[in-house]
Amino acid sequence: MGPSVLAPQAVQALQVLTILLGAPLVSGIISHVEGRLQGRRGPRILQPYYDIIKLFRKETVVTEESSWVFLAGPIVAFGCYLIVPLLIPVLTTYGLPLGYMGDILGGGFILALAGFSVALAGTESGAPYAQLGGSRAMTFGALIEPTILFVIFAVALITSTDLPYALAATVRSSSAEVVRPGHVLAAVAFFLVVLVDTGRIPVETHSGTLEFGMIDEARTLEHSGPPLALLKWGSAMKQLILYTILINVFLAPWGLAGSGSAGSVVLAIPSLLGKAVVIGMIFAVIDNLFSKLRLFKITEFIAAAFLLAVLAVLVFYAGGG
Amino acid sequence: MSHVPSTYSGVADVAAIVVLLTEFAMLRAPLLRSQVRLYAFQSLVVSALAVDIAATRHINELYALAVLSFVLKVILVPGLVLRLLREADVDLAGSSVLSVASMVLIALAVSAFGFFAVGSLHVHSIALPTTALAIAAAVVLVAFVLIILRSDTVSQAMGFFSLENGVSVASLVVAAGLPLVVEVAFLFDLLVAVVVFGVIMRVHHGRTQTLSTEELDRLKG
Repeated sequence: MGPSVLAPQAVQALQVLTILLGAPLVSGIISHVEGRLQGRRGPRILQPYYDIIKLFRKETVVTEESSWVFLAGPIVAFGCYLIVPLLIPVLTTYGLPLGYMGDILGGGFILALAGFSVALAGTESGAPYAQLGGSRAMTFGALIEPTILFVIFAVALITSTDLPYALAATVRSSSAEVVRPGHVLAAVAFFLVVLVDTGRIPVETHSGTLEFGMIDEARTLEHSGPPLALLKWGSAMKQLILYTILINVFLAPWGLAGSGSAGSVVLAIPSLLGKAVVIGMIFAVIDNLFSKLRLFKITEFIAAAFLLAVLAVLVFYAGGG
Repeated sequence: MSHVPSTYSGVADVAAIVVLLTEFAMLRAPLLRSQVRLYAFQSLVVSALAVDIAATRHINELYALAVLSFVLKVILVPGLVLRLLREADVDLAGSSVLSVASMVLIALAVSAFGFFAVGSLHVHSIALPTTALAIAAAVVLVAFVLIILRSDTVSQAMGFFSLENGVSVASLVVAAGLPLVVEVAFLFDLLVAVVVFGVIMRVHHGRTQTLSTEELDRLKG
């Protein structure tokens, strides 16, 4: 062991730090590109950091009706987003000491807990729009859940385990694995899930201010000051976490560090952020190409994602595809 | 589950899946025009599959078949139907019996039945991508769902034509070396169907000023 080899614990801490500090940057680049695509100059790339710092300096306003849940929600959610990077392949191809604490399902539960606590905090505020957002987020979250489950089943059928590291290793192993119809279908289904979960255009205008169409955004309308900073930071982290799963598990698990050597681990950070920006640009283009679906048409969109995920599983049963 | 298909059969399977997905897309397409275009795209994928199989198995006849099916199913048939639609001046399909989400779920259940039915035949061979065969069966079944659940003549015609696409996929993966005459006979069948459905669409539209078959509930015209 030379001095340039990082301890597994250090790499693991680095995974969390990459998500924590890289998420606002990725969000900033995406919204900058989006602005350019719409013919605007777009916000500065570092704008999300400034927003977060500004909000941390502001005071917190709490309505008289709300209880401690209103303030605890953002903190719980932020904690959840800090735990998930321990479970997924952010920087390395091999599992780190705490990586086997939970599988894909475990990561999904923790993300769901985060979404639930934000919705609960929104509902606790007593404001109608925040409550509407919380209730909608839970409804559509429940509708997308079967799709996520079937994607996980497909992963489990490919690898005989449901560890995200195992699927990434399988995809890397040969080109035949990449064009496997089951894998392609599961990956596209997961892509649509990410579209729904990050509140992107066919489902929700993430930058809009019209309350009637809001789902995820509306939950945080009543928060201010540091809790709002945590919520904004958390949603950027959630976006990067989902991108990371999409990239490093399904689409392109290349460029990850194969060993603990400091060079390859450090190199894996810009490679992850670069891939995340590319994915984010695809989402930005989709944002500009399509219009938002009516609220009751979202079920059709989710039905399409469900169709892909179920077909992925069926294809496996029909001959190991 | 450790059996990994080869890249060739992977490509064939993905092409078959795309055919199945366009079938589902046709099920939910609200515009008649877009349904015809989806059919053209589906036929394009089937032609590409024929080229892929011709290249990997060195069957030169399949190139001729691919060209024929491209000219007929990607250009001629959709062009004809689109012209009929332009004359009829109808854009939207009438509301179907069920909502889109439930149609998709029914079609999903039906295609699952197709998958398991083919799976229970226990066809296992190295040359034959069984997955593509199961998907072809699912395409045929979903085409039936399309014909049954959508109540306008264009959807029904498109359902019938795309049923032929499903059969094409099955014949390509099962018996790629089928004599060209037989394959061309299939295509000729399709041509007859186009004429028949063209006449149905025109006569129906001429009588009722609509393409919806829901009007056909009276015993006398």
